Amino acid sequence: MEIIEKIKTNKSNDYLTEIQKICRHKLQSSPLPNPKSELWRLSNKSKLSNFLDYTFNEKDSKFDIPYPKNPQSTIRLIIGENCQIKLIEKNYSIQQLSEDELQKYIKEQISFFKQNENWSDLLNLSLSCKNHILGLKINGSKIPPIEIFSHASSNSLNAKTLVIFLEKNCDVELLQVNLGKENSSLSQSTFFCLKENSSVNHGVVSYGENRSNLLNSLNVIQQKNSAYNLGSLHFKFNYARFEISIKQSAGNAKTNIKSMQITKKDEQISTYTKIEFNGPNGFLDQINKSLADDKSHAIFEGSIIVPKIAQRTDASQLSRNLLLSNLAQIDTKPQLEIIADDVKCKHGATISQLNEEELFYMRTRGITLTEASKLQLSSYFQEIISFIPISKDRWDLLDKLLNEN
Amino acid sequence: MVNENSVKDVVKEPYKYGFITDIETEKIEKGLNEDIIKLISQKKEEPKFLLDFRLKAFKKWQKMKEPDWAALGYKKIDYQDIIYYSAPKQKEKISSLDEVDPKLLETFDKLGIPLTEQKKLTNVAVDAVFDSVSIATTFREELAEHGVIFCSISEAVKNHADLIEKYLGTVVPASDNYFAALNSAVFSDGSFVYIPKGVTCPMDLSSYFRINSGDSGQFERTLIIAEESSSVSYLEGCTAPMFDTNTLHAAVVELIALDDASIKYSTVQNWYAGDEEGIGGIFNFVTKRGKCLGKRSKISWSQVETGSAITWKYPSCLLLGEESVGEFYSVALTNNLQQADTGTKMIHIGPKTKSTIVSKGISAGNSKNSYRGLVKMGTKATGSRNYSQCDSMLIGDQASANTFPYIKSQQPNSEIEHEASTCRISEDQLFYLQSRGIEFEEAVSMMVSGFCRDVFNQLPMEFAAEADKLLALKLEGSVG
Repeated sequence: MEIIEKIKTNKSNDYLTEIQKICRHKLQSSPLPNPKSELWRLSNKSKLSNFLDYTFNEKDSKFDIPYPKNPQSTIRLIIGENCQIKLIEKNYSIQQLSEDELQKYIKEQISFFKQNENWSDLLNLSLSCKNHILGLKINGSKIPPIEIFSHASSNSLNAKTLVIFLEKNCDVELLQVNLGKENSSLSQSTFFCLKENSSVNHGVVSYGENRSNLLNSLNVIQQKNSAYNLGSLHFKFNYARFEISIKQSAGNAKTNIKSMQITKKDEQISTYTKIEFNGPNGFLDQINKSLADDKSHAIFEGSIIVPKIAQRTDASQLSRNLLLSNLAQIDTKPQLEIIADDVKCKHGATISQLNEEELFYMRTRGITLTEASKLQLSSYFQEIISFIPISKDRWDLLDKLLNEN
Repeated sequence: MVNENSVKDVVKEPYKYGFITDIETEKIEKGLNEDIIKLISQKKEEPKFLLDFRLKAFKKWQKMKEPDWAALGYKKIDYQDIIYYSAPKQKEKISSLDEVDPKLLETFDKLGIPLTEQKKLTNVAVDAVFDSVSIATTFREELAEHGVIFCSISEAVKNHADLIEKYLGTVVPASDNYFAALNSAVFSDGSFVYIPKGVTCPMDLSSYFRINSGDSGQFERTLIIAEESSSVSYLEGCTAPMFDTNTLHAAVVELIALDDASIKYSTVQNWYAGDEEGIGGIFNFVTKRGKCLGKRSKISWSQVETGSAITWKYPSCLLLGEESVGEFYSVALTNNLQQADTGTKMIHIGPKTKSTIVSKGISAGNSKNSYRGLVKMGTKATGSRNYSQCDSMLIGDQASANTFPYIKSQQPNSEIEHEASTCRISEDQLFYLQSRGIEFEEAVSMMVSGFCRDVFNQLPMEFAAEADKLLALKLEGSVG
């Protein structure tokens, strides 16, 4: 594969040189993930190979944001375009991270990376270039909502990286939008560091066009008393993986995750989450929803790791899945790994189809089957969409899901 | 506040089945190769098809790799350092129990297994397996009157070769996994049960497996066939002496249920688990699988796993027949340095099939207890349902409990529900019981027993009482 050769030869002459060297070294023994490993065994091999088949592109074509007019209060950034930002206001500041800060943080993160577990990040950083990395340091309160866009140009593979530091006591709403253009592959890696008492409502909306692919990875470190709320939605990708890794580095932190993937045609979209509690009194409330139709395949694998130090952890994980077609399939694997004894951990999983009794009830009230199905689906989607910040009022995500898809 | 040490103290009872029977045994040399397999087959006077089956399995085994996906850590097993056949020396052919070596009878007597006449009153037919051979099967005549065949698999090979040839390896093929292939190559003895059409087995059938030799492995094979509209309840028990070496136990159990047939398979596994330092103990790698071939057939697994240093066991059901039912009820208790990776697989292939999984894991000491299960709905499993519940209880802050459920559905018109939880012995509940005058140990025992109630309710009467007692004993000293 051309891209694998590219990883080996890609050499930049800036602060990224060393990072690329480490990543390349980690990928050296086997440049592709082991298809037998737990994290990759369900991944469609030909789709992954198709992801890597596009030509690597360091330059973006002109990008028109396909969304409603930007309200004045929102800060909008596009990775690869207007990466220069320095906003210092009375209550808050948003500044770019220096090259030193970026290098130090990324190097620290990749030192723990493993070939299979963090393959998406290793690929991303091996291909990274200065223009496609955005590093932000956010401080203060009453910060206007932030929207950050990533996209891949048609017929090419783009790698975009986002690093965000939330300083102490900071509170922010941030929406990340990943757009897959026709016949494109986007590798998006995000690194989030929440310092003490900070809080974020993070939305990730990824949607593609015809034959677009996405490898989206999200690495979050939560310090004490921080709150991380994630609402995510992935749809219309031929092949997409969303890998979430959250570490509560000293416990006493709160994590809420509501994620959803919707697959149609012959798409494969998967969500992998790994939540580690490295301190006591951690909290997690997670729900993942999947909907699979036509010949598609939706996958969820979530693991909760509670070591001995994480006493009094309260974690719950729920995987709810709707299977709408005879040819579609759903795989789900919620898992718990617990050593601490004074914990409350639970998980649940269900796979079913639309509730027939509810459909029947609506039809007896004169609602057509199509409308009744839509109503049921909209309530299924609503729980997730309402958790995504900023988006819900302006973007008609629900309409997109119910009608366009 | 619960005192950590006092709960731990509740669990320390020495392993009471750890004695060794001093009996002359016939052993073959250590190691595994084609000649050894031929020798085992020759000793058992087996027909050619069985030798071919063994040799084919051995070839497959040689090409396979030992699985490493389970959450288990153990030192590498040297398969050439194991004796694959060991049998107590006794007269060639035994016509009645009186001819069995009294030492063997005494051994089983000590274990509480009703082989001798006076204990036959318990109305449970027993097949007792000592190392590599079956030494006695009780109640055979009474069972034969109903057409039920209950004998050791070696006898079945001689007397019912057609049934063995037809069914052996159809549920667990030799190539199924590493340990199944090993077992298929070297299996020594085990039980064979055949319940004819329309017969409800008049008594519970039971096999008791005893490992006596420290350097030989036990590779038994059990085959149960329930013809149309028949039913049987089968119990299995296991113990071993205390050796400071690890002994390998790799068994295969195959169940076949035809139309409207029902098989209930219950196990109380109490192999020697090693000492507190983790020295010695049985490595228990078992493949158990049932095939619900017929319409409305039912296979129910219930197990209480308290022994073994390592447990690797996933009793499964292949639900092929329309409206067939699979059940799995399990209690797995690990203490000290024991490790258990156990669970089930429910593969729904036929329409309107149903399965229930209830798994209770209790980890104490420094042990590791994992539930690993698969529920799969195939494309033709319309109207099928599964319900799984996996609860873990942690005792002490050194033990670990893991849950790995794999769920896969390819059929929209089916429903899967899974839930799992982890908790510890509630201090409030302990305090409440103690304030009512109940001793601490008893209170812990009651709570553990209550935690496992859903599973114990599924065990046959004799086993339920034994399991309850066993759990209380095993837990002594581990609850704090």
